[in-house]
Amino acid sequence: MQRVLTVDDSRAIRLIVTKNLTELGCEVDEAEDGNEGLAKLKSGKYDLVLLDVTMPNLDGPSMLTRMRERGDSTPVLMLTSESKTSIVAALIRLGIEDYVLKPFKPEELRAKVTKALKLATVTQAVAAAGAPEPAPAPAPSPPPQPAATNNGPSKEGATVSAKGKVDVLVIDDMENVHKKLKSILPSSLGVDGCLNAGEGLALARVRSYRMVLVDSEIPDVNVATYIKQMRILQPNATCLGMALRGAPTLSQEMRELGFDDVLTKPFTPEVIDSLIEQHFAGADESIVREDNVLRICAFHGREDRAERHYAKLSRALKDAIEALGEACYDEAILDAVLLPTFNVVRASQFIAEAVAMSGKIGVALRLVASPEVEKALRGFEETKGLRCFGTLAQARAMLAA
Amino acid sequence: MQSPAAGGVDERLAQQIERIIVTRVENDTLTLPAMPAVAAKVLTLLHSSDFSMREIAALIETDPMVAAQVIKSANSAALATREPTRNIGQAVARLGAQKLRGVLIEVSSRRLFESRDKRILDAARRLWEHSRAVAVLAQDVSVVVGIEEPEVAYLGGLLHDVGKPIVATMLLEAESQIAQRAALGGWIDSEVWTSVVQRTHRRVGLVVARKWQLPDDVVAAIEQCDEYDAGSRRSCGNAVRFANAIAKREGFYVGSVQAEDNDALIMLGKSLLGVTDEVLGRVIAGLRSRAKDLMS
Repeated sequence: MQRVLTVDDSRAIRLIVTKNLTELGCEVDEAEDGNEGLAKLKSGKYDLVLLDVTMPNLDGPSMLTRMRERGDSTPVLMLTSESKTSIVAALIRLGIEDYVLKPFKPEELRAKVTKALKLATVTQAVAAAGAPEPAPAPAPSPPPQPAATNNGPSKEGATVSAKGKVDVLVIDDMENVHKKLKSILPSSLGVDGCLNAGEGLALARVRSYRMVLVDSEIPDVNVATYIKQMRILQPNATCLGMALRGAPTLSQEMRELGFDDVLTKPFTPEVIDSLIEQHFAGADESIVREDNVLRICAFHGREDRAERHYAKLSRALKDAIEALGEACYDEAILDAVLLPTFNVVRASQFIAEAVAMSGKIGVALRLVASPEVEKALRGFEETKGLRCFGTLAQARAMLAA
Repeated sequence: MQSPAAGGVDERLAQQIERIIVTRVENDTLTLPAMPAVAAKVLTLLHSSDFSMREIAALIETDPMVAAQVIKSANSAALATREPTRNIGQAVARLGAQKLRGVLIEVSSRRLFESRDKRILDAARRLWEHSRAVAVLAQDVSVVVGIEEPEVAYLGGLLHDVGKPIVATMLLEAESQIAQRAALGGWIDSEVWTSVVQRTHRRVGLVVARKWQLPDDVVAAIEQCDEYDAGSRRSCGNAVRFANAIAKREGFYVGSVQAEDNDALIMLGKSLLGVTDEVLGRVIAGLRSRAKDLMS
């Protein structure tokens, strides 16, 4: 259990801190002034100190100075009403983790303590291992930019990932809207649903989305202001307003509110298909070539759209294989892991087509595919002898050998 | 290395020049650049209770540079609709009075950062880039934390350093007059320059803002951005101060930055305004994606 020392001459503040941090699972000790704080630090080990500035007997900056002078590097988080820049700058020079200005919201205190304690844990682990202390954590990196050619998420990232990448955020106070959308959208798309605007903003602060769908009539919210906030938090997402089908000027009205366009309710399969094709299907890219690897891009449509996707793949395949020949490759890898497998036989036919095309120009093809596709390939004359691998890494290793 | 005596002379010189400028500010005898005539007339019209957009469009059409900027702003991504507009009347209608006011102030202040003097030309341009960066950041921070009228924060950010090129130009003119009479080279040390500009630019900027009859809340944002106001946490002035520190940290600045002082401003600002690290990352990403537009 992590131990925190709160040093503040206000009993009320110490109580608030103790309550909040105990709920976080910390053990909290208290001191009324800097002298008592130093005494406690001398007699016990703490993972974090929460320190006020203005205190009788010995103030915060003086206590911090003496701590550092005697080699005590316990992380310190300032909790004070002092807002003079010069004082804060002096504290930064002495080494502090962060600053919480009173009066504060409990959420801010908890978030900053959580962050500081995680840093403390890393620092201690590194110190225990005898390595030099890591540099302070850099500012968080901006949300990942989408690739210039949008190939859709990888198979691994198609659902909500631990990295916080989800495809669609839906904000609507009607639960049935969420149910309907989840039933129509392909299962390969990750979807987050919120019933109110506040939850939507909270998610938008910590995750990155490719599309944000917002009910244009959310209660108690100025939608124009809301969409401005959303755009700053999600600079790369397409923002659509959901509204009841009606006037022909609906699209224009949504744009004037700040949306990119409108998604009319009730949803129809055709409208959703068009949405997917426009924003997720990687309109121009169905096969991506990287050196001698041809990667089939993900398909996000429904089963009855798969044949159209195969037609697009076949058109792209010819150019991709010719490019291999022009680059004088003898061998190449076809990464077909993301090939739609609604109909395994159809998938196998496509692969057979690829093998035939590449054979004509003298390029030997190795395949990366799912076990079910590999099994189906055994049933075709053209592909029964085809070398098949479970992962791209394995295929590359074999080519390199 | 400069001797202590020389440092003392520089400090006295800086104080003398500062006194001259402050006296002129207080006596209202400072010669300041006027707002472009068309922009001034349109802003006066917009202040009045009855005006027609047609009348405003007709005025704007008489200044091609202002007209071009108004159309560009009306066709910006923030206001994009299917059809771009090439017509001043449509552009004015699309922008509306408040946004049009912002565009005109921006066009006018841009000119203040264009110097004919080669010695400060580059610094002035980079200062404009910094001012645009602060404006964008202040506006975005205001939007995400829920400060009303983020447009005020934008203008406050744009104009927070407007006094600097004016003071710099005054120093150059003074220097060249004295140099002509005494056949001397430059007589003001660069440290004195920096010190005088730093000490006086805010006051001069406020005089410009009042002379141009900018809205009171914009003037307040410029005035209040020197120190955080802990009593009024979510104010435009605080947003501008915070944005200034972020812009400096991200490299959108000309001049040296005291790192710990700047870090202090950022740490304080995050708590004051309620900005988390994640939100700050998004706002900075938004700025970086618009970096190439900052010089326009």
